Amino acid sequence: MRWPKPLVSLIRMKILLAEDDPDTRQFVEEALGEMGHGVMATASGAQALDWARDSGADILVLDRMLPDLDGIAVLRALRGGGHGIPVLMLTALGRIEDRVDGLDAGADDYLVKPFAISELVARINALTRRTVPVEAGPCFGGIALDLRTRQVTRDGRAILLQPREFRLLEELVREGGAFVTRKMLLERVWDFHFDPQTKIVETHMSRLRSKLNEGFAGDAIETVRGMGYRVRPS
Amino acid sequence: MSWLRASAARRIALIGFCAYALAMLLVAGAVFLATHAAFSRQISQSIEHANAALMAEYRDDGLTGLSRAVAMQHSPGPISLGTAVFAADGRHLAGNLATSAPAPGWQRITFFDPLEGPDTARAKVTLLPGGERLVVAADLEDLQAIDRAILSIFAGAMLVLLGIGVGGALVLARYLRSKLAVIEDTASAIVEGDFARRAPIGHHGDEFDRVAASLNAMLDQITSLIANLRQVSADLAHDLRTPLTGLRNHLERMAANGEEQVAMALARTDDVLELFEAILRISEVEEGSLRRAFTRLDLAALLGELSETLDLLAEDAGKRLETRWHPGLAVLGDRQLLAQVLINLAENAMRHTPPGASIEISVLEREGHVALQVRDNGPGIPEADRARVLRRFVRLESSRSTPGHGLGLSLVAAIADAHGAALTLGDAGPGLIVTLTFPRKSAI
Repeated sequence: MRWPKPLVSLIRMKILLAEDDPDTRQFVEEALGEMGHGVMATASGAQALDWARDSGADILVLDRMLPDLDGIAVLRALRGGGHGIPVLMLTALGRIEDRVDGLDAGADDYLVKPFAISELVARINALTRRTVPVEAGPCFGGIALDLRTRQVTRDGRAILLQPREFRLLEELVREGGAFVTRKMLLERVWDFHFDPQTKIVETHMSRLRSKLNEGFAGDAIETVRGMGYRVRPS
Repeated sequence: MSWLRASAARRIALIGFCAYALAMLLVAGAVFLATHAAFSRQISQSIEHANAALMAEYRDDGLTGLSRAVAMQHSPGPISLGTAVFAADGRHLAGNLATSAPAPGWQRITFFDPLEGPDTARAKVTLLPGGERLVVAADLEDLQAIDRAILSIFAGAMLVLLGIGVGGALVLARYLRSKLAVIEDTASAIVEGDFARRAPIGHHGDEFDRVAASLNAMLDQITSLIANLRQVSADLAHDLRTPLTGLRNHLERMAANGEEQVAMALARTDDVLELFEAILRISEVEEGSLRRAFTRLDLAALLGELSETLDLLAEDAGKRLETRWHPGLAVLGDRQLLAQVLINLAENAMRHTPPGASIEISVLEREGHVALQVRDNGPGIPEADRARVLRRFVRLESSRSTPGHGLGLSLVAAIADAHGAALTLGDAGPGLIVTLTFPRKSAI
């Protein structure tokens, strides 16, 4: 299988997958495996809970509805026991209330089915990245941000951005060279948990890109269709 | 009078009180009339008795006997009688009654009371064979005194009863209102989306308890229907999502191998999924349970926050956009939903106006209501089509060529409804003016 290059990981992660639909389970297990990760998959909530406690996995991808112990119960048991493993909840329930329930129970992120595998991978990457201690100035690919003064430089040259453009760039820079999807940007920059069905992200991104690239030869931001955006590593 | 018009309980209490007062008046009137008549009859009988006794004297001893008897006449009973004999020429012959000679028969006469002056009396005047007249009269003052006594007793009683009646009416009105308020509160809570609310049922088994019980039974029925419907739509959404996920997964795998046709099929599948999500979202908003999570939200601040994005979208679409707001105008609502309203209305205005058109989005206060208004100077919507465009999947002939499913405005309508806001489409002359008027600020 030839997955797009950016999806293939250099770091091998240990991923737990609890999903009762065999089709989805097999697809996700195979896809993540082919991208270079170690995947342990089960249809049982109880099994997933045991693994999450003992296996030292990097992340648990947990379906909301499982036949034995449902996803919310697994999550409550984990968080109740003080276990901090990142949990990405998958669900076929797309209601606004369902998302709130999932996040309240302690999920770190929430993804409604059907999803693109690139969306899943981008979110797994975001959740498993070793969190860098909060510092005032994240930087990547020659772009440096000052969160206090809201100043941006590319290779030392100052660039003037609108507040929303700054927030967009901040998300990209924080992710390092990883891809951030359109959906993730809508959630993080606008706090929109719905699809506005307009080109909000695209429009802002094109403006941001032209500001960043003015006077430079190389494009600072890389766009891959169906995957999203990232800051191009210098 | 609005005090009465707005409350059936008060009207019922008032009608009850009026009926009660009328009954009291009738009883008082009847007692008064009966007492008056009885006493009046007693007076007439006393006069008859005295008259008969004196006539007997006359028959036995003639005029001399009569005059003697009249002179000695004193009233033994409770009623004071006066008597007098007058000669045929009207001279006063005997008796204590100071009056002039009246005509024969029953008369109402005026006499002179040595203590009280002129007074009225009832008199029987008998014409004697010699032309003389015998007058037996009873002072009517006693009757009037009794009348006055009865009337004053009843007036006092009426005052007391009036107090009791008004108090009773107020208590009854308050009782009815409090009983009905319980049912009203329950119904309002249900309208607000609290389907678990039930009316408390008392233990009397009275009309109110029975109404509350029927209301609760109805609510149970509705709740179970809604739960069924929700279950069905949740199952449907779940059961459709699972195979669609499978389909999408396979397509995505195949598309990763770089087949152009498959990539097209994947894009089409995503269109279907997008439509599916939009329909589910409208249903969820229409159902109204999201209202429970509503909080006080600064609508002006939300527009301010989104103005940068909206400006950029307008610029990209080649339209002029102006946003204006009075700071601090808040409504009770959900940020996600209201942001979607703003985006959808702005997008709608940009989509259906020619290049270079002006669009104005404002949050303003009008007659105590917060309103959101989107106005453009495009072709507008003909009046006949304005209600229709709010329905699902409706697209006007003029916009067939523009992209979209015809769900944007119906989602706006559903969100407006969930917020209790009135949505109106009007003529901006030229152009369309869409207004959402939120409930009064006091409701927040």
